[in-house]
Amino acid sequence: MRALIILVLITEFWRIMSAPDEDNHAQVASHFFGELLDSVIMDVASECHRIATLGLDRNLDDEEEELRLSAQARARVADPSNSEANSKYVVDIFGQTHPAVASEIFDCMNCGRSIVAGRFAPHLEKCMGKGRKARVKATRSSTAAAAAQNR
Amino acid sequence: MNDSRRASIKRPPTPDAEEEDEDREPTLEEIINIKLIESGEKERLKELLRERLNECGWKDEMKSLCRSFTRKKGRNNVTVDDLVHLITPKGRAAVPDPVKAELLQRIRSFLHSTAL
Repeated sequence: MRALIILVLITEFWRIMSAPDEDNHAQVASHFFGELLDSVIMDVASECHRIATLGLDRNLDDEEEELRLSAQARARVADPSNSEANSKYVVDIFGQTHPAVASEIFDCMNCGRSIVAGRFAPHLEKCMGKGRKARVKATRSSTAAAAAQNR
Repeated sequence: MNDSRRASIKRPPTPDAEEEDEDREPTLEEIINIKLIESGEKERLKELLRERLNECGWKDEMKSLCRSFTRKKGRNNVTVDDLVHLITPKGRAAVPDPVKAELLQRIRSFLHSTAL
């Protein structure tokens, strides 16, 4: 038994004493790698903190703003009090309201009269139609074509 | 009376800083650290590590983690400490094996070259 113990002791002693520097080197190398890595991590964290504090990450704020606005829009759409009956006072995506009848006044480019924009379409029907009728009256030979045009 | 006054003045001498250093043996790591820094190798190694981690997208991964954390916590509520604690465990685990191997190899050859 004692011989066995002595044998083990000698083997252990030999193992420890002749441990190649490799093991030691590996441990030290590992230590320094860890130090370098921690240093790089610190740099990255510092950089990200700076970006966050200075608001340089535009996507961050833009996303937040979009999320907020879309939540607002969804709430408005889901809101039953916002029916089509109130369409006069509904706000569009640019924040503008539009009256049911367009009230701007401008000059018709055909006849030169002052027309209210909301009445422009029916005016044009008559205005351009009269012009065509005049043309039809002028060219008697093309009555067939005129008849097809005139409805 | 005199004795008590003298007693109040008596103080143990301030420990001499130089004496302390001489008593303590610098550790192996401290010696190597000094050699690394003085030779400029430490800076080169750090640059190499940074470059490799950039190339493999590790840095982008870490920045993305920081960004989502910042979004949740609020831009102005985040400290550097928060971010360090956030990315240290993940950062250490995410280093690709070849990158780690390359750096370790460089360090080991430095150790050999300084004949330690």
